[in-house]
Amino acid sequence: MKKRFNLICTLLLALSLVGCSTTQSSSSGSSDGKTKASSGKKVLHLNNGNEPTSFDPAQGFDAVSWNALNNIMEGLTRLGKDNKAAPAMAESWDVSKDGKTYTFHIRQHAKWTNGDPVTANDFVYAWKRLLDPKTASPAAFLGDPIAGATAYNSGKGSADDVQVIASDAHTLKVTLTDPNPSFLNIITNPCFFPIDEKVAKANPNWFKEAKTFVGNGPFKLTQWVHNSKMVMKKNENYWDADTVKLMEVDWAMVNDSNTEYQMFQSGQLDESSVPADLSDQLFKQGKVKVSSQAGTEFYRFNTKMAPFQNAKIRKAFAMAVDQEQLIKYVIKSQEKPAHAFVSPGIVDTSGKDFRSEGKSYNAFNAKEAKQLLKEGMKEEGYKTLPQVTLTYSTDDTNKKVAEALQQMFKKTLGINVKLANMEWNVFSDEQKKLKLQLSRSSFLADYADPINYLVSFTTDSSMNRTGWSNKQYDQLIAQAQKETDEAQRNADLHQAEDILFDQAPIFTIKFYDQEYLQKDNVKGIVRHPVGYLELKWAQVQ
Amino acid sequence: MVTYILRRFGAMIITLWLIVTLTFFLMHLAPGSPFNQERNTNAAVQKNLMEHYHLNEPIAFQYLSYLKSLLHFDFGMSITQPGQTVNGLLAQGFPVSFELGMMTLVVAVLSGVILGVLAALKHNGIIDYLAMTLAVIGISVPNFIMATLLIQELAVHWHVLPAATWSSPKHVILPTIALATGPMAIIARLTRSSMLEVLTQDYIRTARAKGLSPYKIVVRHALRNALLPVVTILGTLTAGILTGSFVIEKIFAIPGMGKYFVDSINSRDYFVIMGTTVFYSGFLIIMLFLVDIAYGFLDPRIKLHKKEG
Repeated sequence: MKKRFNLICTLLLALSLVGCSTTQSSSSGSSDGKTKASSGKKVLHLNNGNEPTSFDPAQGFDAVSWNALNNIMEGLTRLGKDNKAAPAMAESWDVSKDGKTYTFHIRQHAKWTNGDPVTANDFVYAWKRLLDPKTASPAAFLGDPIAGATAYNSGKGSADDVQVIASDAHTLKVTLTDPNPSFLNIITNPCFFPIDEKVAKANPNWFKEAKTFVGNGPFKLTQWVHNSKMVMKKNENYWDADTVKLMEVDWAMVNDSNTEYQMFQSGQLDESSVPADLSDQLFKQGKVKVSSQAGTEFYRFNTKMAPFQNAKIRKAFAMAVDQEQLIKYVIKSQEKPAHAFVSPGIVDTSGKDFRSEGKSYNAFNAKEAKQLLKEGMKEEGYKTLPQVTLTYSTDDTNKKVAEALQQMFKKTLGINVKLANMEWNVFSDEQKKLKLQLSRSSFLADYADPINYLVSFTTDSSMNRTGWSNKQYDQLIAQAQKETDEAQRNADLHQAEDILFDQAPIFTIKFYDQEYLQKDNVKGIVRHPVGYLELKWAQVQ
Repeated sequence: MVTYILRRFGAMIITLWLIVTLTFFLMHLAPGSPFNQERNTNAAVQKNLMEHYHLNEPIAFQYLSYLKSLLHFDFGMSITQPGQTVNGLLAQGFPVSFELGMMTLVVAVLSGVILGVLAALKHNGIIDYLAMTLAVIGISVPNFIMATLLIQELAVHWHVLPAATWSSPKHVILPTIALATGPMAIIARLTRSSMLEVLTQDYIRTARAKGLSPYKIVVRHALRNALLPVVTILGTLTAGILTGSFVIEKIFAIPGMGKYFVDSINSRDYFVIMGTTVFYSGFLIIMLFLVDIAYGFLDPRIKLHKKEG
């Protein structure tokens, strides 16, 4: 018996040693490679936070996928330092007089990392694949401006009717349903990146590993240890390779903001997000860098649920909210209080900032709030207001804001609001089904156009989620979508925003921004208000 | 012995089946969906997705086909990571968690047993008090605080070790210590108390009387018996540690399988929820079984089968 026991012990020990030694030898090999590469060369160390969902351009509809993908692939256009669409794979383009047909001229010498030429066909293949309902891409709606796209994606049309045509290897013709001043901007989005058709047909899983990945961006993916790290090296095949100064980008995947900050402090990372607990202190020390982010935090009223069927009661609640106080004392960030839905930094068709051209709404006014509540209750015949429950998805900051709002409603309107929180998945489900009375929301722009924000509250939009429907609003947005006269389009959109705040199916809290820490020797990383991380001009000095 | 093992094996299969069944139905009862995103995809796309993962079929059918695929050890496809199989995720994550877990176990058991034995031998002495103070600290300081402290001191202040990530043997040290202190403290306390009990037994006195060396008495006679309670908790401990710690793996950015336990539930990734649950419970059941077998070897008083001995 003792012998057997000893035998088992030995076996177990041997097993564990084998387990340790094999994994260690393989990992130490890669770490050697890393130190060699780091010494002397210009390497940037970033944190991606998590494993990318997918490097399939049609699938990874999130920042963890697209911040990285944006640097190893490229579409027809690419956002420049000024946040405007600039020539990329397309050297130039012609737009027809009616503004509906775009003819893109693809660079003669554009190449994939495997040496294949980038052709118009690669775009046709990728775009039709994006729109194919079988691909089930969450980003397919971005293709809606293209004629035939919506029908194909909703299973009613066919791929052949999608108006994306390769006239020859280097000419791509795209026809839109309506003239769209944002189209060149929309197609900078990673879901419109081309795919090397030859590669994808031979290996449908080409995007899963560094070895099989074929890109066409400023960098190429050379190593991808899943859930652990990625390495990108400068792509010598890139058409604008002379501009790219960085030799290598190493991406860690650290999903804990304290650890990320500690790694930044110990020199393992060149950049870090700001841990919430240290935010105040780091801001005071002047270490936090801020750049704008096109997005708005707001709350939705459910206009199908009492008492919020009444616009005056909605406005009373909206006016009881003091955004300035919230940001200064509760959120404690440098973000701007939101007194409108379209965030600053979004330019209209005449090139002016839509926000600075527009009005300021939703200001705190205790007196008027009380008056409106009184009037609203009278209209509805309420002696006491039906119970109001404010719901948010479980999160520390959301909780703090919700509690502060609860106090503001109590103080200004004398109303006791109940608070409830739910796990995000349940919360989002209930909000879409109009089961929540008053709930927290956020909007991040998909492309830089005020219409992207405002179309959310049209009657048929899946982003509406308030039950609110206004004919005039719908009409104004529909007009703006077809409008060729730039001044008229802008006027329509401003008028729509007026209606939105006059009817108040929502109230706004703040405009987002991007806050981060960065080493002083790192220069040239571009963070677009709408768009993904840009390392093409980045440098480590 | 053989019949005992067979009987236990049958019980293990039934336990596993119960766990699978309960998890499967509870999971489908939970509100929310794996395809829930900030922006809705259209009806045709939703339908395609449901069909692709067979979620449009009646729940009983889904259950039976899942059981069938389990028989082939096929855990299905991840929904939130398109194109990724659950088997693939486990195959990537488990070796990493296993490596860290093995290191942790070795450290925790060795240091725990040594501390416990020393404390028992020097009962009520300085070493005893020191060892037990260490044990109390180890039990009461949660591992995520230990982890943050270790990073702050050894990586940020002294630059001795890397703060996080998983690429060289150096990276293993901090998470191992952070993960091992808790179990070490538990093992030290258990060893100490059972050592104290064993040391007063008659056979120890007899061994002393026979003039055996103190080393032989402690290692051969006392420790072997004192280790029984340690072996008991080792089963659950091993299963817990080897399948990865969500918190420690998150703090140190270790690509193990710990995160799938939590992430999959948040994103309603049905097949990953099932895969991790089946894997973990299977592992736990086997470990408990091994512990029972080990009793027989360690303690001749325990008989696994009546007829034997």
